[in-house]
Amino acid sequence: MTVAPPPAAPPAATPTEAEAWALLLAVEDLGPAAHGALLRAYGSALAVLEAARRPGASARFAGIRSEEGTGRAIGPIVAGRIVRSLGLIDEELEVLRSSAVRIVTVADPAYPARLRAIELPPPVLFVRGSLDGLAAEHVVAVVGTRRPTDRGRAMATQIAAMITAAGGTVVSGLALGIDGASHAAAVHQSGPTVAVLGSGHAELVPRAHDRLAEGIIAAGGAVVSELWPRQPPAKWSFPRRNRLISGLSDATVVVEAGENSGALITARNALEQGRGLFLVPGRIGDPVSAGCLRWLHAYPGEARIVIGLAELVEDLGLVERASVRSRRTRRLPEPASLEAVLLELGPTARRVGTALAAGHGTLDELVATTGFEPATVLGAITLLELRGLVHSTFGRYRPAGALAAAPPARS
Amino acid sequence: MLATLLSSTLVGLDGRIIRVEVDVAPGLPGFTIVGLADAALQEARERVRGAIRNAGFSHPPRRITVNLAPADLRKAGASLDLAIAIGILLGSEQVTAAPGRIALIGELSLGGEVASVPGILPMTAALARRGIRRLVVARDAVAEAQLVDGIEVVGVGTLREAADAVRRRSRRSTRPLPPRIELASGGPAPDPTGVPAAPAVAVDGIAPDLVEVRGQLEARRALEIALAGSHGLLLVGPPGSGKTLLARTIPTLLPPLGDADALAATVVASAAGEGPISALRREAPVRSPHHTLSYAAMVGGGPRMSPGEVTLADHGVLFLDELPEFGRDVLEALRQPLEDGHVSIARVGRATRFPARVLLVAAMNPCPCGWAGDPSDRCRCPQPVVDRYAGRVSGPLRDRIDLWVSMGRLPPEALIAGREPEASSVVAERVRRARAAQVERQGVLNGRLSGRRLRAICRLDGAAGRQAIALAELEGLTARGTERLLRVSRTIADLEGSPAVRGEHLDEAARFRSFAARLASREAS
Repeated sequence: MTVAPPPAAPPAATPTEAEAWALLLAVEDLGPAAHGALLRAYGSALAVLEAARRPGASARFAGIRSEEGTGRAIGPIVAGRIVRSLGLIDEELEVLRSSAVRIVTVADPAYPARLRAIELPPPVLFVRGSLDGLAAEHVVAVVGTRRPTDRGRAMATQIAAMITAAGGTVVSGLALGIDGASHAAAVHQSGPTVAVLGSGHAELVPRAHDRLAEGIIAAGGAVVSELWPRQPPAKWSFPRRNRLISGLSDATVVVEAGENSGALITARNALEQGRGLFLVPGRIGDPVSAGCLRWLHAYPGEARIVIGLAELVEDLGLVERASVRSRRTRRLPEPASLEAVLLELGPTARRVGTALAAGHGTLDELVATTGFEPATVLGAITLLELRGLVHSTFGRYRPAGALAAAPPARS
Repeated sequence: MLATLLSSTLVGLDGRIIRVEVDVAPGLPGFTIVGLADAALQEARERVRGAIRNAGFSHPPRRITVNLAPADLRKAGASLDLAIAIGILLGSEQVTAAPGRIALIGELSLGGEVASVPGILPMTAALARRGIRRLVVARDAVAEAQLVDGIEVVGVGTLREAADAVRRRSRRSTRPLPPRIELASGGPAPDPTGVPAAPAVAVDGIAPDLVEVRGQLEARRALEIALAGSHGLLLVGPPGSGKTLLARTIPTLLPPLGDADALAATVVASAAGEGPISALRREAPVRSPHHTLSYAAMVGGGPRMSPGEVTLADHGVLFLDELPEFGRDVLEALRQPLEDGHVSIARVGRATRFPARVLLVAAMNPCPCGWAGDPSDRCRCPQPVVDRYAGRVSGPLRDRIDLWVSMGRLPPEALIAGREPEASSVVAERVRRARAAQVERQGVLNGRLSGRRLRAICRLDGAAGRQAIALAELEGLTARGTERLLRVSRTIADLEGSPAVRGEHLDEAARFRSFAARLASREAS
């Protein structure tokens, strides 16, 4: 570079090219299309940042034509923001480098090949963990409602366990309900699984899945986001994330989705991206299956019905690898042990969960068993409930989901 | 000859000053009362006649006309008896009055005895405000009347003693003092023909101590939170699970009322005729009306605009046992008091407003037969019926109930073993501290917070904020559900003495969320 930095400014940290890509994305409202146009016009992200330092930059940015040449690629407001964002580069770099987040640009060979094939792939992925799982022969998304029935949760667990057992990788959204059950099933088999966030890494939601996210990384999977690490979750960020879930995968399986479920956005993306779509049917009139049924009815040629695990295995093309196992064990994957089920919880909730698994019912009994204060036990029950591990009816607490299926603790 | 005296009558919770003019004139013997007097007052003629004769005076065989001013105010009750009788004695010159304005309040018996009437306290306060310096009342009402400063109170047992009191000069020259009691004036005038206010149905007898409630930790905790933050509470459980027993311990858990609140509570008790009152009521009222009560008995009204149960429970607790059995209109009527802290009663041509800052505690069975969820499997209600039963709690009420809790019947071993329950005094102290912290921070209790103010006070930091979002999803993400969660967690933090609301406070608060919302969220996906 021939232009010397402004003398008064402190020596600016020099971003790498990958960081420069990411820094551009930190500009509010600068999306993949505008990002691509800038790179085409200047050759590299570093060159864009350099250009932004020169006077009149914002007018030049606003003059860039879109790829088809039909209009402006960048609005004047965003163009102005790019220039203004220069002042914050040091601070933003600091954020980026202090977080344990890796940047993978679309130009990087490590960038997931399936995702590169979609329309407008995200220019940058912020990654924690390993993306190796996405190189597997079969990558399948398993998604569904945040409030599933026990049946739905068990179904998601079985499907994800089967995919993992067959050497495939499960992709989902780390949400409560079906998403969480799918990830957990893969982690339980120590298989890689990829969670796509609807927020930046530093703002991970739901908090209840903090430990699950760590478990995913520990099991060789990855937590991925296309959003700047400090981007809080927003209404728009989840639908946008859903196109990545389907885009990373060969096929998407929807287990329980209500009429307006976000899982159906993933389903739509899967069809638009030319990927497979499988829907698990449910009873007519059951609200948690209304969305699946509607889609089966509306897209008879494209949306495929799941009528059994063995058939799904065949349809997904997992059959050769899975056949050895699936013929015998397709009924139910072995239930997770109690320790595994409670692994991601804190010590308090773990003790309460263990007491519950032994069949203790009321708060009084749980207090007597654990020796905790009633207030503490009540809080722990909520944490268990968030994971679908406990049911409460009329003042009695019963183990549910994986906790009910788990064999008693070995001690 | 004309005699003019002052007395007072009760309208709602307010004393109204009545000028009693008695004209004893020559003519055909007769006795007429004019000035919108109700039936009880018309009957005063017979009581006064008998009392005068039996007290050893003579009822003048002349034309007696009694005018009650102001003429447009409907007057009710027997509080004017004494003034009318003394007026006749003055008018017929059997008694000569000492100079100075004097007021008399009391009911007469045929034998000439003077009895107290409801509402002595607000009536005395009204007179004192008007600058009256001397008041004659029944002897057992003296203590109550003396709660008001700046007025000399003379207690009398009979009409004869009353006549003596009128004759005598004031024993001490009372310096005019500003009345100690300031009573908010209510709306315009009421109606005559008074039925006395409903007899108290307060949780009766001596309240049991919390130490007598074994087990039921969840419900105990919910009750503590409810009282600490003034959150509506609903207890759901089969018969015999101890819902009513728990509710009856409430008086032992509430802190004593402050001066202003105690005064307001005392005025209500006085107007409701709850027996002789000798000191300010410091204990918060706890009312538990039966589910057969009528709309008017709940909100107040009737010909005399008497306060209803919500007003009698002002600054205290309104306990509704068997909630779904209450009339729909009765429960519907609770909407305004629970929202605004007062109740407005409008009748043709007049309206009045009663205070009603109540904490609602309700109890109900889990299903129509009462046994759903009981391990004995006695319940024969089909599941949809059970699901719907919680939905019987009507919408406006549901929204004002922050804490929902289920109680099961205790197995016998839990009644014997289990940890030693905390005593009322321990819990009461926590409640007192938590309340003090709230009043210091925001002036009101958490249960009265909503909207922007709630959000400003319950600011959550990053981790707690994310937890709140996760938990709100359990409630179905409604605005009300989220507010409920915030309000309750704020109180839990206050009970612990924590300035910030943390994740574990939210976690616990989520345990007490509404079943109705839980049912609804099961349906939505």
